[in-house]
Amino acid sequence: MNDLIRSAIAAEAEERVNSRTVLAELHKRKARKPFGLIVGVATLTVAAAAAAFIIPTAIKKTDAAPATSPAAPVSAANVLLLGMDEVGNTDALVYAHFNADSSVSVVSLPRNVKVGDDQLYSLYAQDPKKLTAAVETLTGTKVDHYAAIKMSEFGRIAQIVGGVEVCLTAPAKEEYSGVDLPAGKSTISGDQALAFLRQRHDLPNGDVDRTRRHQAFLTGLAAKITKDNALPFAREISKTIKVDAGWDVVEFAQRFQGPVKIQAATLPTEATILNNGPAYLAVNPGVAKAFVENQFAGNGAVQDACVN
Amino acid sequence: MGFDQFVAERLDRLLGYATAITCDKHLAQDIVQNVLMRAQNKWERIGAMDAPYLYVKRMVTNDYLSWRHRRAAREIAVERSELAKHVPSEADPADAHAEREAMRARIAVLPRKQRAALVMRYYEDYSDAEIAHVLDCAESTVRSQLSRALQTLRAHEIARSATLGVQS
Repeated sequence: MNDLIRSAIAAEAEERVNSRTVLAELHKRKARKPFGLIVGVATLTVAAAAAAFIIPTAIKKTDAAPATSPAAPVSAANVLLLGMDEVGNTDALVYAHFNADSSVSVVSLPRNVKVGDDQLYSLYAQDPKKLTAAVETLTGTKVDHYAAIKMSEFGRIAQIVGGVEVCLTAPAKEEYSGVDLPAGKSTISGDQALAFLRQRHDLPNGDVDRTRRHQAFLTGLAAKITKDNALPFAREISKTIKVDAGWDVVEFAQRFQGPVKIQAATLPTEATILNNGPAYLAVNPGVAKAFVENQFAGNGAVQDACVN
Repeated sequence: MGFDQFVAERLDRLLGYATAITCDKHLAQDIVQNVLMRAQNKWERIGAMDAPYLYVKRMVTNDYLSWRHRRAAREIAVERSELAKHVPSEADPADAHAEREAMRARIAVLPRKQRAALVMRYYEDYSDAEIAHVLDCAESTVRSQLSRALQTLRAHEIARSATLGVQS
Protein backbone atom coordinates (compact mmCIF):
# COMPACT_ATOMS: atom_id res chain seq x y z
CA MET A 1 0.00 0.00 0.00
CA ASN A 2 2.98 2.29 0.62
CA ASP A 3 3.76 2.49 -3.08
CA LEU A 4 0.18 3.33 -3.81
CA ILE A 5 0.21 6.15 -1.24
CA ARG A 6 3.48 7.38 -2.66
CA SER A 7 2.19 7.50 -6.20
CA ALA A 8 -1.10 9.05 -5.12
CA ILE A 9 0.68 11.86 -3.27
CA ALA A 10 3.11 12.34 -6.15
CA ALA A 11 0.15 12.63 -8.50
CA GLU A 12 -1.42 15.23 -6.23
CA ALA A 13 1.84 17.19 -6.08
CA GLU A 14 2.10 16.94 -9.86
CA GLU A 15 -0.92 19.26 -10.04
CA ARG A 16 1.10 22.17 -8.70
CA VAL A 17 1.09 25.42 -10.59
CA ASN A 18 4.11 26.40 -12.62
CA SER A 19 6.76 27.91 -10.38
CA ARG A 20 7.38 30.64 -12.91
CA THR A 21 3.85 31.91 -12.31
CA VAL A 22 4.64 32.18 -8.63
CA LEU A 23 8.00 33.81 -9.26
CA ALA A 24 6.37 36.43 -11.46
CA GLU A 25 3.77 37.11 -8.79
CA LEU A 26 6.47 37.41 -6.14
CA HIS A 27 8.37 39.96 -8.20
CA LYS A 28 5.21 41.91 -8.85
CA ARG A 29 4.38 42.07 -5.17
CA LYS A 30 7.96 42.85 -4.27
CA ALA A 31 7.78 45.96 -6.39
CA ARG A 32 4.72 47.19 -4.51
CA LYS A 33 5.98 46.66 -1.00
CA PRO A 34 8.27 48.90 0.98
CA PHE A 35 10.39 45.91 1.70
CA GLY A 36 10.89 45.35 -2.01
CA LEU A 37 12.20 48.84 -2.13
CA ILE A 38 14.77 48.02 0.45
CA VAL A 39 15.79 44.91 -1.42
CA GLY A 40 15.99 46.95 -4.59
CA VAL A 41 18.22 49.30 -2.77
CA ALA A 42 20.19 46.38 -1.53
CA THR A 43 21.33 45.65 -5.03
CA LEU A 44 23.01 48.94 -5.25
CA THR A 45 26.71 49.13 -5.22
CA VAL A 46 27.27 52.64 -4.07
CA ALA A 47 29.86 54.11 -1.78
CA ALA A 48 29.69 52.28 1.48
CA ALA A 49 28.82 55.26 3.54
CA ALA A 50 26.13 56.17 1.08
CA ALA A 51 24.70 52.67 1.05
CA ALA A 52 24.86 52.63 4.78
CA PHE A 53 22.62 55.54 5.42
CA ILE A 54 20.12 55.26 2.65
CA ILE A 55 18.85 51.79 3.41
CA PRO A 56 17.90 51.40 7.04
CA THR A 57 14.66 52.24 8.71
CA ALA A 58 16.06 52.57 12.21
CA ILE A 59 18.25 55.54 11.56
CA LYS A 60 18.69 58.01 14.38
CA LYS A 61 17.57 61.43 13.35
CA THR A 62 19.38 64.46 14.64
CA ASP A 63 17.58 67.69 15.43
CA ALA A 64 19.29 69.98 13.02
CA ALA A 65 18.48 69.86 9.33
CA PRO A 66 20.29 71.91 6.70
CA ALA A 67 18.55 75.18 5.90
CA THR A 68 17.93 74.08 2.33
CA SER A 69 14.75 72.23 1.41
CA PRO A 70 14.92 68.52 0.57
CA ALA A 71 15.30 67.62 -3.08
CA ALA A 72 12.34 66.45 -5.11
CA PRO A 73 12.04 62.67 -5.70
CA VAL A 74 14.67 61.23 -8.00
CA SER A 75 16.20 64.55 -8.78
CA ALA A 76 19.87 65.04 -8.11
CA ALA A 77 20.87 65.51 -4.48
CA ASN A 78 24.01 66.60 -2.70
CA VAL A 79 24.82 64.68 0.42
CA LEU A 80 27.60 65.34 2.86
CA LEU A 81 29.00 62.14 4.39
CA LEU A 82 30.97 62.59 7.57
CA GLY A 83 33.37 60.18 9.22
CA MET A 84 33.64 61.11 12.90
CA ASP A 85 36.54 60.36 15.21
CA GLU A 86 36.22 59.28 18.84
CA VAL A 87 36.13 62.81 20.24
CA GLY A 88 33.53 64.18 17.82
CA ASN A 89 35.76 65.82 15.24
CA THR A 90 35.04 65.20 11.61
CA ASP A 91 37.89 63.04 10.39
CA ALA A 92 36.68 62.56 6.85
CA LEU A 93 34.33 64.66 4.73
CA VAL A 94 32.96 63.19 1.56
CA TYR A 95 30.65 65.36 -0.47
CA ALA A 96 28.55 63.22 -2.81
CA HIS A 97 26.35 64.24 -5.69
CA PHE A 98 23.70 61.61 -6.39
CA ASN A 99 22.52 61.94 -9.96
CA ALA A 100 18.99 61.06 -11.00
CA ASP A 101 20.43 58.10 -12.96
CA SER A 102 21.87 56.78 -9.66
CA SER A 103 25.49 57.42 -10.56
CA VAL A 104 27.46 59.15 -7.84
CA SER A 105 30.16 61.79 -8.06
CA VAL A 106 32.21 62.29 -4.96
CA VAL A 107 34.54 65.06 -3.82
CA SER A 108 36.56 64.56 -0.67
CA LEU A 109 37.02 67.74 1.32
CA PRO A 110 40.29 67.86 3.26
CA ARG A 111 39.56 68.15 6.95
CA ASN A 112 42.01 70.98 7.49
CA VAL A 113 40.44 73.44 5.07
CA LYS A 114 40.27 76.81 6.77
CA VAL A 115 36.86 78.33 7.34
CA GLY A 116 36.98 81.66 9.17
CA ASP A 117 38.88 80.98 12.34
CA ASP A 118 38.01 77.31 12.23
CA GLN A 119 38.76 74.29 10.12
CA LEU A 120 36.19 72.04 8.52
CA TYR A 121 36.73 69.21 10.97
CA SER A 122 35.57 71.16 14.02
CA LEU A 123 32.36 72.69 12.65
CA TYR A 124 29.99 69.72 12.90
CA ALA A 125 30.61 69.38 16.61
CA GLN A 126 29.81 73.07 17.06
CA ASP A 127 26.65 72.96 14.95
CA PRO A 128 25.85 70.79 11.92
CA LYS A 129 24.29 73.85 10.24
CA LYS A 130 27.58 75.66 10.54
CA LEU A 131 29.28 72.87 8.63
CA THR A 132 26.65 72.62 5.89
CA ALA A 133 26.72 76.41 5.46
CA ALA A 134 30.53 76.36 5.18
CA VAL A 135 30.44 73.59 2.59
CA GLU A 136 27.81 75.49 0.62
CA THR A 137 29.97 78.61 0.58
CA LEU A 138 33.06 76.61 -0.29
CA THR A 139 31.56 74.65 -3.16
CA GLY A 140 28.84 76.95 -4.43
CA THR A 141 26.29 74.13 -4.14
CA LYS A 142 23.39 73.36 -1.86
CA VAL A 143 23.88 70.67 0.75
CA ASP A 144 20.60 68.78 0.66
CA HIS A 145 21.39 66.29 3.39
CA TYR A 146 24.10 64.97 5.59
CA ALA A 147 24.93 61.74 7.37
CA ALA A 148 27.55 61.12 10.04
CA ILE A 149 29.15 57.85 11.12
CA LYS A 150 32.00 57.00 13.45
CA MET A 151 35.17 56.09 11.59
CA SER A 152 35.81 53.36 14.14
CA GLU A 153 32.80 51.50 12.75
CA PHE A 154 34.50 50.90 9.45
CA GLY A 155 36.59 48.02 10.73
CA ARG A 156 33.43 46.21 11.72
CA ILE A 157 31.65 47.27 8.56
CA ALA A 158 34.42 45.74 6.46
CA GLN A 159 34.05 42.56 8.50
CA ILE A 160 30.31 42.34 7.89
CA VAL A 161 30.81 42.27 4.13
CA GLY A 162 33.65 39.76 4.41
CA GLY A 163 36.52 42.17 3.87
CA VAL A 164 37.14 45.03 1.47
CA GLU A 165 39.66 44.84 -1.32
CA VAL A 166 42.12 47.70 -1.59
CA CYS A 167 45.31 48.09 -3.59
CA LEU A 168 48.54 49.71 -2.40
CA THR A 169 51.31 51.04 -4.63
CA ALA A 170 53.88 50.12 -1.95
CA PRO A 171 53.91 48.04 1.24
CA ALA A 172 52.48 49.92 4.22
CA LYS A 173 53.99 49.28 7.63
CA GLU A 174 53.73 51.95 10.28
CA GLU A 175 53.64 51.64 14.02
CA TYR A 176 51.30 54.42 15.10
CA SER A 177 48.36 53.14 13.12
CA GLY A 178 49.52 49.53 13.30
CA VAL A 179 49.08 49.15 9.57
CA ASP A 180 50.96 46.25 8.00
CA LEU A 181 49.94 45.50 4.44
CA PRO A 182 51.85 44.35 1.36
CA ALA A 183 51.99 46.16 -1.95
CA GLY A 184 49.24 45.26 -4.37
CA LYS A 185 45.78 43.98 -3.57
CA SER A 186 44.76 43.08 -0.01
CA THR A 187 41.40 42.23 1.47
CA ILE A 188 41.12 44.10 4.74
CA SER A 189 38.72 44.18 7.65
CA GLY A 190 38.70 44.86 11.37
CA ASP A 191 41.84 46.43 12.79
CA GLN A 192 43.76 46.41 9.50
CA ALA A 193 40.90 48.25 7.79
CA LEU A 194 40.94 50.85 10.55
CA ALA A 195 44.71 51.14 10.41
CA PHE A 196 44.56 51.53 6.63
CA LEU A 197 42.10 54.37 7.03
CA ARG A 198 43.86 56.03 9.96
CA GLN A 199 47.50 56.05 8.96
CA ARG A 200 48.77 59.63 8.98
CA HIS A 201 52.51 59.16 9.24
CA ASP A 202 54.93 57.97 6.57
CA LEU A 203 52.57 58.80 3.73
CA PRO A 204 54.25 60.45 0.72
CA ASN A 205 51.48 63.05 0.35
CA GLY A 206 50.16 63.11 3.92
CA ASP A 207 46.47 63.79 4.27
CA VAL A 208 45.93 63.69 0.52
CA ASP A 209 46.99 60.05 0.49
CA ARG A 210 44.83 59.36 3.50
CA THR A 211 41.86 60.86 1.75
CA ARG A 212 42.59 58.73 -1.32
CA ARG A 213 42.54 55.72 0.97
CA HIS A 214 39.11 56.68 2.25
CA GLN A 215 37.86 56.84 -1.31
CA ALA A 216 39.50 53.54 -2.24
CA PHE A 217 37.99 51.92 0.82
CA LEU A 218 34.50 53.24 0.08
CA THR A 219 34.72 52.13 -3.53
CA GLY A 220 35.96 48.69 -2.46
CA LEU A 221 33.19 48.45 0.11
CA ALA A 222 30.59 49.48 -2.44
CA ALA A 223 31.73 46.60 -4.61
CA LYS A 224 31.10 44.17 -1.77
CA ILE A 225 27.53 45.20 -1.06
CA THR A 226 25.14 42.70 -2.54
CA LYS A 227 21.47 41.94 -2.28
CA ASP A 228 22.26 39.28 0.29
CA ASN A 229 24.44 41.21 2.69
CA ALA A 230 22.88 44.64 2.34
CA LEU A 231 20.21 44.09 4.97
CA PRO A 232 22.39 42.82 7.82
CA PHE A 233 24.84 45.47 6.73
CA ALA A 234 22.26 48.22 6.87
CA ARG A 235 20.95 47.03 10.20
CA GLU A 236 24.42 47.10 11.67
CA ILE A 237 25.18 50.52 10.27
CA SER A 238 21.90 52.01 11.36
CA LYS A 239 22.91 51.64 14.98
CA THR A 240 25.58 54.28 14.69
CA ILE A 241 24.67 56.54 11.82
CA LYS A 242 22.95 59.89 12.11
CA VAL A 243 21.23 61.78 9.34
CA ASP A 244 19.54 65.16 9.28
CA ALA A 245 15.96 65.24 10.52
CA GLY A 246 14.48 66.49 7.26
CA TRP A 247 15.60 63.54 5.21
CA ASP A 248 13.27 60.76 4.10
CA VAL A 249 15.96 58.19 3.45
CA VAL A 250 13.61 55.47 2.28
CA GLU A 251 12.18 57.79 -0.33
CA PHE A 252 15.68 58.78 -1.31
CA ALA A 253 16.64 55.14 -1.61
CA GLN A 254 14.14 54.53 -4.39
CA ARG A 255 16.56 55.75 -7.01
CA PHE A 256 18.93 52.87 -6.41
CA GLN A 257 17.78 49.82 -8.29
CA GLY A 258 20.99 48.55 -9.75
CA PRO A 259 24.76 48.90 -9.74
CA VAL A 260 25.96 52.40 -9.09
CA LYS A 261 28.84 54.11 -10.83
CA ILE A 262 31.05 56.02 -8.46
CA GLN A 263 33.66 58.62 -9.30
CA ALA A 264 35.85 60.15 -6.63
CA ALA A 265 38.24 63.12 -6.44
CA THR A 266 39.73 65.38 -3.81
CA LEU A 267 39.13 69.11 -3.60
CA PRO A 268 42.31 70.92 -4.64
CA THR A 269 43.84 73.08 -1.94
CA GLU A 270 46.16 75.98 -2.57
CA ALA A 271 48.62 76.45 0.20
CA THR A 272 49.41 75.53 3.73
CA ILE A 273 49.06 78.41 6.14
CA LEU A 274 51.15 78.04 9.23
CA ASN A 275 49.25 79.55 12.09
CA ASN A 276 51.52 79.14 15.09
CA GLY A 277 51.54 75.40 14.74
CA PRO A 278 48.51 73.78 13.16
CA ALA A 279 48.59 73.59 9.41
CA TYR A 280 45.56 75.06 7.67
CA LEU A 281 44.70 74.42 4.07
CA ALA A 282 43.48 77.33 2.04
CA VAL A 283 41.12 76.99 -0.88
CA ASN A 284 40.82 79.27 -3.87
CA PRO A 285 37.05 79.88 -3.98
CA GLY A 286 36.86 80.12 -7.76
CA VAL A 287 38.95 77.00 -8.30
CA ALA A 288 37.04 75.03 -5.69
CA LYS A 289 33.63 75.91 -7.15
CA ALA A 290 34.72 75.10 -10.69
CA PHE A 291 36.25 71.82 -9.53
CA VAL A 292 33.11 70.72 -7.71
CA GLU A 293 30.91 71.77 -10.60
CA ASN A 294 33.04 69.80 -13.04
CA GLN A 295 33.15 66.74 -10.78
CA PHE A 296 29.43 66.80 -10.04
CA ALA A 297 28.72 67.09 -13.76
CA GLY A 298 30.47 63.72 -14.15
CA ASN A 299 33.53 65.10 -15.95
CA GLY A 300 36.10 64.23 -13.32
CA ALA A 301 39.23 62.28 -14.15
CA VAL A 302 39.35 58.59 -13.27
CA GLN A 303 41.80 57.94 -10.44
CA ASP A 304 44.32 55.13 -10.22
CA ALA A 305 43.01 51.95 -8.66
CA CYS A 306 45.99 51.67 -6.31
CA VAL A 307 46.77 54.16 -3.56
CA ASN A 308 49.88 55.14 -1.59
CA MET B 1 21.95 31.04 1.43
CA GLY B 2 20.34 34.09 -0.13
CA PHE B 3 16.59 34.37 -0.51
CA ASP B 4 16.66 34.38 -4.29
CA GLN B 5 18.83 31.30 -4.39
CA PHE B 6 16.52 29.58 -1.95
CA VAL B 7 13.51 30.37 -4.10
CA ALA B 8 15.27 29.26 -7.25
CA GLU B 9 16.21 25.92 -5.71
CA ARG B 10 13.17 25.17 -3.62
CA LEU B 11 10.10 26.87 -5.02
CA ASP B 12 8.99 24.02 -7.27
CA ARG B 13 9.36 21.44 -4.53
CA LEU B 14 7.60 23.69 -2.06
CA LEU B 15 4.68 24.12 -4.45
CA GLY B 16 4.53 20.35 -4.85
CA TYR B 17 4.43 19.89 -1.11
CA ALA B 18 1.81 22.59 -0.59
CA THR B 19 -0.32 21.16 -3.39
CA ALA B 20 -0.06 17.68 -1.91
CA ILE B 21 -1.14 18.76 1.57
CA THR B 22 -3.90 21.12 0.41
CA CYS B 23 -5.12 19.06 -2.57
CA ASP B 24 -5.78 22.43 -4.19
CA LYS B 25 -3.16 23.97 -6.42
CA HIS B 26 -4.61 27.47 -6.20
CA LEU B 27 -4.76 27.43 -2.44
CA ALA B 28 -1.23 26.01 -2.47
CA GLN B 29 -0.06 28.85 -4.69
CA ASP B 30 -1.63 31.46 -2.41
CA ILE B 31 -0.09 29.95 0.68
CA VAL B 32 3.37 29.60 -0.86
CA GLN B 33 3.32 33.14 -2.19
CA ASN B 34 2.24 34.60 1.12
CA VAL B 35 4.73 32.56 3.07
CA LEU B 36 7.60 33.52 0.77
CA MET B 37 6.75 37.20 1.08
CA ARG B 38 6.84 36.88 4.84
CA ALA B 39 9.96 34.74 4.79
CA GLN B 40 11.75 37.31 2.70
CA ASN B 41 11.10 39.96 5.32
CA LYS B 42 12.95 37.96 7.91
CA TRP B 43 15.36 36.18 5.64
CA GLU B 44 18.34 37.40 7.57
CA ARG B 45 17.25 35.11 10.39
CA ILE B 46 15.83 32.24 8.35
CA GLY B 47 18.72 32.15 5.90
CA ALA B 48 21.15 31.72 8.78
CA MET B 49 19.37 28.61 10.07
CA ASP B 50 20.65 25.08 9.58
CA ALA B 51 17.62 24.12 7.52
CA PRO B 52 15.83 27.13 6.04
CA TYR B 53 13.74 24.81 3.90
CA LEU B 54 12.30 23.05 6.95
CA TYR B 55 11.43 26.37 8.52
CA VAL B 56 9.71 27.66 5.40
CA LYS B 57 7.88 24.37 5.09
CA ARG B 58 6.74 24.83 8.66
CA MET B 59 5.37 28.25 7.75
CA VAL B 60 3.53 26.76 4.78
CA THR B 61 2.14 23.93 6.91
CA ASN B 62 1.05 26.24 9.70
CA ASP B 63 -0.63 28.51 7.21
CA TYR B 64 -2.61 25.61 5.88
CA LEU B 65 -3.43 24.22 9.29
CA SER B 66 -4.50 27.64 10.53
CA TRP B 67 -8.14 28.62 10.78
CA ARG B 68 -8.01 30.98 7.81
CA HIS B 69 -8.01 28.12 5.37
CA ARG B 70 -10.50 25.90 7.09
CA ARG B 71 -13.39 26.73 4.86
CA ALA B 72 -11.44 26.14 1.71
CA ALA B 73 -10.16 22.88 3.13
CA ARG B 74 -13.65 21.66 3.94
CA GLU B 75 -14.90 22.46 0.47
CA ILE B 76 -12.10 20.46 -1.03
CA ALA B 77 -12.68 17.63 1.41
CA VAL B 78 -16.34 17.42 0.40
CA GLU B 79 -15.44 17.47 -3.25
CA ARG B 80 -12.85 14.75 -2.79
CA SER B 81 -15.09 12.59 -0.67
CA GLU B 82 -17.63 12.70 -3.47
CA LEU B 83 -14.92 11.54 -5.80
CA ALA B 84 -13.90 8.84 -3.38
CA LYS B 85 -17.41 7.43 -3.42
CA HIS B 86 -17.59 7.27 -7.16
CA VAL B 87 -14.13 6.37 -8.31
CA PRO B 88 -13.90 2.78 -7.06
CA SER B 89 -17.20 1.67 -8.48
CA GLU B 90 -16.80 3.38 -11.81
CA ALA B 91 -13.23 2.55 -12.61
CA ASP B 92 -11.59 -0.60 -13.80
CA PRO B 93 -10.08 -2.12 -10.65
CA ALA B 94 -7.15 -3.49 -12.58
CA ASP B 95 -6.27 -0.03 -13.76
CA ALA B 96 -3.36 1.35 -11.74
CA HIS B 97 -4.42 4.83 -12.60
CA ALA B 98 -7.84 4.30 -11.14
CA GLU B 99 -6.38 2.79 -7.99
CA ARG B 100 -4.11 5.74 -7.58
CA GLU B 101 -6.96 8.18 -8.09
CA ALA B 102 -8.98 6.35 -5.49
CA MET B 103 -6.11 6.59 -3.04
CA ARG B 104 -5.74 10.29 -3.82
CA ALA B 105 -9.36 10.82 -2.98
CA ARG B 106 -9.00 8.95 0.29
CA ILE B 107 -5.92 10.90 1.27
CA ALA B 108 -7.74 14.12 0.46
CA VAL B 109 -10.36 13.48 3.11
CA LEU B 110 -7.90 12.68 5.89
CA PRO B 111 -7.61 15.23 8.70
CA ARG B 112 -5.24 17.94 7.58
CA LYS B 113 -2.49 17.29 10.08
CA GLN B 114 -2.47 13.59 9.28
CA ARG B 115 -2.23 14.38 5.61
CA ALA B 116 0.63 16.81 6.19
CA ALA B 117 2.53 14.12 8.09
CA LEU B 118 1.77 11.59 5.39
CA VAL B 119 2.97 13.90 2.62
CA MET B 120 6.19 14.59 4.46
CA ARG B 121 6.79 10.88 4.93
CA TYR B 122 5.86 9.72 1.42
CA TYR B 123 6.65 12.77 -0.72
CA GLU B 124 9.59 14.26 1.15
CA ASP B 125 10.89 11.06 2.77
CA TYR B 126 11.25 12.86 6.09
CA SER B 127 12.17 11.18 9.34
CA ASP B 128 9.85 11.37 12.34
CA ALA B 129 12.14 14.02 13.79
CA GLU B 130 11.94 16.21 10.71
CA ILE B 131 8.18 15.89 10.53
CA ALA B 132 7.96 16.70 14.24
CA HIS B 133 10.03 19.81 13.60
CA VAL B 134 7.76 21.01 10.82
CA LEU B 135 4.56 20.23 12.70
CA ASP B 136 6.07 21.57 15.90
CA CYS B 137 5.03 18.55 17.92
CA ALA B 138 6.58 15.51 19.60
CA GLU B 139 7.87 12.60 17.52
CA SER B 140 5.40 10.34 19.28
CA THR B 141 2.62 12.59 17.98
CA VAL B 142 4.01 12.24 14.47
CA ARG B 143 3.98 8.47 14.79
CA SER B 144 0.40 8.43 16.04
CA GLN B 145 -0.73 10.83 13.28
CA LEU B 146 0.90 8.62 10.67
CA SER B 147 -0.43 5.39 12.10
CA ARG B 148 -3.95 6.76 12.30
CA ALA B 149 -3.72 7.97 8.71
CA LEU B 150 -2.44 4.60 7.53
CA GLN B 151 -5.10 2.81 9.54
CA THR B 152 -7.82 4.83 7.83
CA LEU B 153 -6.34 4.29 4.40
CA ARG B 154 -5.84 0.59 5.09
CA ALA B 155 -9.39 0.20 6.32
CA HIS B 156 -10.63 1.71 3.09
CA GLU B 157 -8.29 -0.46 1.14
CA ILE B 158 -9.51 -3.63 2.86
CA ALA B 159 -13.12 -2.62 2.43
CA ARG B 160 -12.52 -1.87 -1.20
CA SER B 161 -10.60 -5.10 -1.86
CA ALA B 162 -13.39 -7.02 -0.19
CA THR B 163 -15.96 -5.31 -2.38
CA LEU B 164 -13.88 -5.95 -5.46
CA GLY B 165 -13.41 -9.56 -4.42
CA VAL B 166 -17.15 -10.06 -4.36
CA GLN B 167 -17.56 -8.36 -7.72
CA SER B 168 -14.93 -10.44 -9.51
